[in-house]
Amino acid sequence: MAPLVTFDRATLGYGRRVVLTDISFDIPEGDFLGLVGPNGSGKTTIVRTLLGTLPPLAGTVTRDHALRFGYVPQRDQVDYSFPLKVLDVVMMGRYDRIGLGRRPTADDRARAREALEHVGIAHLADRRLSDLSGGQKQRTLIARALVGEPTVLVLDEPTNGMDLVATTQILGLVRELHDRDALTVLMVSHALNEVANYVDRIALVVEGGFRIGTTDEIMTEETLTQMYGIPVEVDSFDGHRIVVARRRDATEAADRV
Amino acid sequence: MFSTVLLFREALYGALVIGVACSVLGVYVVLRRIVFVGATLAQISSAGIAFALWLAGTGLALGPLLRPTVMSLLLTLAAVVVFAGGARGRIPPDATIGVTYAVAAAVGILLIAKAASGEAHDIFLQGNILGITRGDTLVLIGVAVPVLVLHALFYKELLFVSFDRETARTLGYDVRRWDLLLYLTLGVVIASAMQFAGVMLVFNFLVLPAVTGLLLSQHMRGVFFWSVTSAVVAAVVGFSLSVPFDLPSGPAISAASGALVVIAWLGRRLLARSS
Repeated sequence: MAPLVTFDRATLGYGRRVVLTDISFDIPEGDFLGLVGPNGSGKTTIVRTLLGTLPPLAGTVTRDHALRFGYVPQRDQVDYSFPLKVLDVVMMGRYDRIGLGRRPTADDRARAREALEHVGIAHLADRRLSDLSGGQKQRTLIARALVGEPTVLVLDEPTNGMDLVATTQILGLVRELHDRDALTVLMVSHALNEVANYVDRIALVVEGGFRIGTTDEIMTEETLTQMYGIPVEVDSFDGHRIVVARRRDATEAADRV
Repeated sequence: MFSTVLLFREALYGALVIGVACSVLGVYVVLRRIVFVGATLAQISSAGIAFALWLAGTGLALGPLLRPTVMSLLLTLAAVVVFAGGARGRIPPDATIGVTYAVAAAVGILLIAKAASGEAHDIFLQGNILGITRGDTLVLIGVAVPVLVLHALFYKELLFVSFDRETARTLGYDVRRWDLLLYLTLGVVIASAMQFAGVMLVFNFLVLPAVTGLLLSQHMRGVFFWSVTSAVVAAVVGFSLSVPFDLPSGPAISAASGALVVIAWLGRRLLARSS
């Protein structure tokens, strides 16, 4: 089966500013890919290019003709001063399907309610968005992405600024959407430890470097040490992998022995 | 008192048309945090009037360009294109808008100081609401109705690109074009209203009714409803009080708008305490 998206030796950036060069990877149907890297490493540039809002500076990015993205932006990208009900926000995910100058129909409303039910917050449909908790806001934005019936769900830092409970719930929900609906998912995050235990593959972007592989391939001390440029340890606890940066003094002591 | 107000009913009708149009657009101005853009467009529009009045005094035969509304519209639309395009460079966008505001205000005052027309000073500062004729009202309606129809027709598109630009972009919305539409409608309404309402009243109608709406309602429809209602109430009350008490109409309407904001704010606080 042909991949949904293929980056072929793509150079990415803005105008004359090159952010990443020679990027090649593809996203097959049913993939659950984590795009991980520190802030400012180029994750957003990759996502924008993937979504088609930023053309590659060189190389090619090919998308399946029937591809439809469901985009979940970072929570702080949305303006909460707008007095909008949760249901109205979710309906926005269908605006392009509804068409220019047309109003949402009863069917659009029913689908929006279904999407809210899908993410477990149907009871909040008539609440004002700004009154919700961080996790509930994130679920609203996920419901909005789902109501457009996407082939690929793209989430930009979905757990940013959330506590442990909300983070676990949101990551669990995304995994559930992938497993239950066979949805292709791309999740962007700066937190490797959070993402590594939920995704099937990881694309690591660090200081211009790019490496992609299965979670097992990427989550090795050798790969991570090479990519991050500092010695790291990969431990396992109760089936979960945890990446720990080695303390400098311990590293130096080890070097001296 | 009522008969005196009736004497100037065309002025009241004109103020109502300006109030309704500005209060609808004002909801976007306030929510998108472009209040300063609204003020600057009003100032540029005002400078356009000053420029036309000054040109008229020089004796140059420039035809329709000498009409204050035409010049005001041209300068405002030029500014709209620049603002809608967004600033790209070292200077923050609000600083660019600030520079434009200051320069437009200064140039307007300098031009008006040298304009030949005796009435120019008043028009420049306060507009000339009482001078609105039936023809002027019809022109204002001719501008306001298409603008409001466009906003009603493309409500969901304008809302989406204002609320969450990045996601709108991913769904294929050309965010810049929608911005341009919003700014163009804003520019056209401001420029057509400026000669009658003046900088202060136009700016008032762009901001205060929307703030009242946001204080009184929890959803967009309600915000639009209360914004328009408060603009209409402020226009009627302010105008009706200004005529018998021989007060300038623009500031009287603005004061009434301000009073409505305070009432809405107090009402909201009382409701919050009781719940």
